[in-house]
Amino acid sequence: MIELKNVTKRYGSLTAVDDVSFSVKTGECFALLGPNGAGKTTIVKVLLDFIRPSSGVLSISGIPSTHAECRQSIGYLAENHHIPPSLSGWEYLMRSAELLEINRSEAIYQCNRIVELIGMQGRENTKVGTYSKGMVQRFGLGAALMGDPKLLILDEPTSGLDPIGIREIRRLLESFKDQGMTIFLNSHMLSEVEKICDTAAIINRGKLLVKDSISAIVKDGEALEDVFVRLVKG
Amino acid sequence: METSKSLLPITRITKYTLIDEVQQRSFVVMFVFCAICIFLVRGCYQGNYMVNGQALDAETIVRTLSKATFHVIGAGVMVITALLSMRLFRRDRNEGMQSCILSKPIARWQYVMGKILGLWVLSTLFMFILHSIVFLITSINLKVFMPGYLFASLLCSINLLFVVNAVLLLSLLMSEIVAFLCVLGVGVVGFVSDGIVAASQSQIAQAMVQQSAGHPQTDLTWWKIVYFFWPKLLGVQQLASSLIESKSSHGFVPIYPLFNVLIYCLILGALLFKRFRNEDIV
Repeated sequence: MIELKNVTKRYGSLTAVDDVSFSVKTGECFALLGPNGAGKTTIVKVLLDFIRPSSGVLSISGIPSTHAECRQSIGYLAENHHIPPSLSGWEYLMRSAELLEINRSEAIYQCNRIVELIGMQGRENTKVGTYSKGMVQRFGLGAALMGDPKLLILDEPTSGLDPIGIREIRRLLESFKDQGMTIFLNSHMLSEVEKICDTAAIINRGKLLVKDSISAIVKDGEALEDVFVRLVKG
Repeated sequence: METSKSLLPITRITKYTLIDEVQQRSFVVMFVFCAICIFLVRGCYQGNYMVNGQALDAETIVRTLSKATFHVIGAGVMVITALLSMRLFRRDRNEGMQSCILSKPIARWQYVMGKILGLWVLSTLFMFILHSIVFLITSINLKVFMPGYLFASLLCSINLLFVVNAVLLLSLLMSEIVAFLCVLGVGVVGFVSDGIVAASQSQIAQAMVQQSAGHPQTDLTWWKIVYFFWPKLLGVQQLASSLIESKSSHGFVPIYPLFNVLIYCLILGALLFKRFRNEDIV
């Protein structure tokens, strides 16, 4: 589904991503882990063609990531998601549907379904300017779910959410995984990752340290957090 | 089929740009302020004006003043368009719309095209409504009908496209306020230089040049080249205002300014697409 080959991204003398290669299979729930500034968000942005790599090749479903068509069945939630404050949550979801060329009746149906899914019934028609950070994040996730994407790219999806919200997102991700959706998760929440994901990659200072199944990364008696700390601290 | 498919996202982004701008309080305030100013000017049409001791007839006053108002609105809306354009990309970036749109199957050129069209349509409508107010005042209240006034307004929109393209491009290369000031500078220099050239072609200036013919002349050839290629924003306005005249006794009107500004629009547009293609979406 996702393939990165020798991807490097440099900002002047700083190498944010250094010759990273890995792939994510269809239906896999994959987590990209790393400390702050490791290059996780850069990889996500390169994948979405928000940033052009200095070298290397990326493809989604066999289509180069520079082609807009490869984003036809992708849902993306940005870290610290923003929504124009002049819009209501409903209008934002409708815009997401329109941009995916979903017809109006289907868009209304999907918006209603998503509002229920993200637990925002009754608040969808108020302006985003009045929403809390967690509510904005929920509508961001809702927009990412529009059009039933085959691949969900989530950059810190639980950012700004309270413990109940985090648990709801985890349940949602588990249900998407059961439906066969490919999930690319960029997260700091190692305990959540351990519960949801099948595979993970750990990067530090732009370099890929490990990419394997969670069961192969985590040895007996260890937690993912222990492995993470051991690998990152070298 | 392919063309209509690629046009659909452009029309959507154009629509969102229009809606988002109109919902801004600053836009509404600017529009209302401009409309009130135009209404207040209507008193000037009914005054008594003397030129060389002779009173001007009402129709001449109306035609002259409405032409002057036409130019003031044209220049004013150019400044307002520059103000609206300078923060367009930044606001979209800060409010998350840029990443929302570009994470969908929409190419960057479609996004930029939608933004350009949205702002161009909005500023053209802004100017057209202000010109329409003048047109209605002169037609209904003063019984002076100038059918070319609204066509002239539409022709002037070429200048607005220039401003949109220039400010959007420069806002990607420098801070927004500097981009705004640069385009404002281009406009002011163009207006002043056109004014100087017009004044130098007057009879008094020609006589002064003839008197000083004995003095050594400095070589101004390169200035002439710069002047020739400088964006002819005032030239387009003058060309447009020539449409306001009902009589065609004013002779040949040069259409070079129109080509000049259109070529600038194409060049700036191409540079904008090229620059945005490599822009990091953050």
